[in-house]
Amino acid sequence: MDREEVFWEYTKSICPVCKVVVDAQVNIRSVDGRGKVYLRKRCRRHGEFEALVYGDARAYLDSARFNKPGTIPLAFQTEVAEGCPSDCGLCPEHKQHACLGIIEVNTACNLDCPICFADSGHQDDGYAITLEQCERMLDTYVAVESEPEVVMFSGGEPTIHRNILDFVDAARARPIRSVVLNTNGIRLAADRGFARALADRDVTVYLQFDGFDERTHRQIRGADLRERKRQALDACAEAGLTVMLAAAIERGLNDHEVGEIIRFGIGHPAVRGAVLQPVTHAGRHVEFDPLRRLTNSDVIELVADQLPDWFRASDFFPVPCCFPTCRSVTYVITDGEDVVPIPRLIDLDDYLDYVTNRVVPDPEIRGALEKLWSASAFPGTPATDAQLERAACGIDAPQVVRDLAEGAFMIVVQDFQDPYTLNVKQLMKCCVEEITPDGRLIPFCAYNSVGYREQVRQQMSGVPVADVVPNATPLRPLLRDSPYGSRISADAEDSEAPGNGGGDGRRRIAPDATNVGRRVR
Amino acid sequence: MTQRTGPTPPPEEVKSCCAAAYSSDAATAILGGHYHPGGTALTRRLADRLALRAGERVLDVAAGPGTTAFLLADEYGASVDGVDLGAATVAKARASAEATGTCDSVRFHLGDAERLPFDDAGFDVLVCECAFCTFPDKATAAREFARVPRPGGRVGITDITLQPERLDGRLRGLTGWIACLADARPVDDYRELLADAGLHARVVERHDGALATMIDQIEARLRAFRIAHVDVGTALELTALARDAVARGDAGYVLLTADKPAP
Ligand SMILES: C[S@@+](CC[C@H](N)C(=O)[O-])C[C@H]1O[C@@H](n2cnc3c(N)ncnc32)[C@H](O)[C@@H]1O
Ligand code: SF4
Ligand code: SF4
Ligand code: SF4
Ligand SMILES: [Zn+2]
Repeated sequence: MDREEVFWEYTKSICPVCKVVVDAQVNIRSVDGRGKVYLRKRCRRHGEFEALVYGDARAYLDSARFNKPGTIPLAFQTEVAEGCPSDCGLCPEHKQHACLGIIEVNTACNLDCPICFADSGHQDDGYAITLEQCERMLDTYVAVESEPEVVMFSGGEPTIHRNILDFVDAARARPIRSVVLNTNGIRLAADRGFARALADRDVTVYLQFDGFDERTHRQIRGADLRERKRQALDACAEAGLTVMLAAAIERGLNDHEVGEIIRFGIGHPAVRGAVLQPVTHAGRHVEFDPLRRLTNSDVIELVADQLPDWFRASDFFPVPCCFPTCRSVTYVITDGEDVVPIPRLIDLDDYLDYVTNRVVPDPEIRGALEKLWSASAFPGTPATDAQLERAACGIDAPQVVRDLAEGAFMIVVQDFQDPYTLNVKQLMKCCVEEITPDGRLIPFCAYNSVGYREQVRQQMSGVPVADVVPNATPLRPLLRDSPYGSRISADAEDSEAPGNGGGDGRRRIAPDATNVGRRVR
Repeated sequence: MTQRTGPTPPPEEVKSCCAAAYSSDAATAILGGHYHPGGTALTRRLADRLALRAGERVLDVAAGPGTTAFLLADEYGASVDGVDLGAATVAKARASAEATGTCDSVRFHLGDAERLPFDDAGFDVLVCECAFCTFPDKATAAREFARVPRPGGRVGITDITLQPERLDGRLRGLTGWIACLADARPVDDYRELLADAGLHARVVERHDGALATMIDQIEARLRAFRIAHVDVGTALELTALARDAVARGDAGYVLLTADKPAP
């Protein structure tokens, strides 16, 4: 009898309950007449787990051609000891430098969203970093990257940290190109002076923005924030701030709103892009079915279905600097009425070098359009200014490029990994790193999934923090509530693992349970 | 053989205007580096179908800015001559050759496909991408295609195919001509033209999707210009007509190779 699935590859992952490292396999199965990609793994203690990782097998396989060589960072902070993902990081086995460094300034928040991978909220047993710590973290980043592309301040809610502007200044005092602030917008809505202060510092705002229905707000944020979001965006527009809308998309909650989010963003003077993230089932979140979760290809298809005049799925392409199944992107040029996706203008393969994880669309658009519209058509020949300046048929190429780049809009689709979907293959080429107060750079998905977030919080606050387990339907019988609203293992052996709360607060991350290095007896 | 219907512009005007149009920066802006459907991928496929080998002498007829010539020299190790009727295009291509230090393997010449400035039997391979359809005197061009390869040499063409009687009148003017559509022919006509000149078809492949993609790309670029407040006139209506023609199966793209018999 034939198997119902095609075995694609072998990899490593973790047990979502006890976080030991386990062998895993990627399989392709046909469901409803379409090939879909699943990750399956087994823990000796907790049994078998399976999750959907890509809704379109063809796109998954195609994306391999977007896998470009990584760049080696200037320094590594850890050594190879246990193997991936227990050595973060970055350890010398890591395949990419950091395009984006995240500094979480606190664990506290002025909201208690039902969906929050950071497990933040009105909590008084967390931590907040000091200015001195922030400076050390920035220095670590600069030492590793020399001239880092982007630092993102996040949390918790970073705008309620009383030193947040000092942190921004500290970043601005270093050779870091862009500074991004991740916020729910509550302070921006209420405090006009704050928007101006950010504008003075040329900060890009990533505004949490999940949709327009009251139900969306209540279920994802626990409150109707529609008016606050409007006020926050008005304040940003007035101050001249650049905003990216950051949407967490959950199946059955707000997956019908992705098109409207984009349409709204394209029409709003402050907004230059939208980041659509399937809800990461790390930290706190609503119950979900791992076999039906949203993946990048699903979100892309939702966009094409909801905005058929503007988009088709083929307008999106994988970002080549991280692992190509992590993140897809498209850029459009628009005047608010017509929308032209850049991949339709160019032969993408010729321009991939221009695509990295940037914050705002400008540099890529300029790069691609200048290359497209430089007078020289031979790839590799640098176009001179004189060539660019030569205008024919009333087309002034540099001016056209400037105009178009200015109106460019970026759409990012980003499926962060969680303890269910984690694949070390993606992790090892991650280019989005959490900078920790103790001077490590930890791939964001490892930070959220493997136990590093809990480790750092425990270390910083001195309060024991149990490993968070996804609130997946099949795991529910094994789980109990954590003090922060997330779920943890009901079995004390998992939630009070050796090292928890003891000694220097450091504990063993993800011990190995694969068959690597064991012999048959 | 199918006859062209309706009024046509005079041949010399077509040729010189076509060459001038393609050498303008506007053409570069709208067409990018690739002046033919299928881009470099289809060029590689053509070279593979012709079994192009290192060291072979290739003539690229209507070589444009030289993208194909450089590719064949660089990736296949061929020695390539490119010929084009646009003086500015040839100058640009030569400048690229100089800038990249490839003058040894790639040369560019000013010349007419219907009177190729080369001796008989001096090439192993002749290629012509998306240009045969624009030549007003196709029978003469075909005879030239048969004259310059050596006996046993190969000829490779990719080109627009068309059921001319079904062409929308608005695509038949000069603009349509330059955009390759107006005097394109059905596949069988191309085969016959080559056969009459003594070239025997070997491979015939349809690549209609490549044409649809290119029309999409041109349309997207025109819309981009419109967004930047550049007047694009009626060009968008023409691309819409062209797209309909491809969708109906009245227009397409073909890859065709033919052999010059060995003595
Ligand atoms: C954790 S918050 C921290 C910064 C700030 N408090 C905020 O909410 O913007 C960062 C971003 O992640 C989003 N987010 C939170 N939990 C998420 C989840 N489980 N999946 C996807 N996105 C999530 C938030 O909506 C927000 O845009
Ligand atoms: S994710 Fe990277 S840094 Fe972390 S253990 Fe794996 S290779 Fe090392
Ligand atoms: S998602 Fe952001 S706003 Fe919501 S609780 Fe978490 S940190 Fe606070
Ligand atoms: S953060 Fe996660 S999804 Fe993004 S590049 Fe890293 S591993 Fe991939
Ligand atoms: Zn387990």
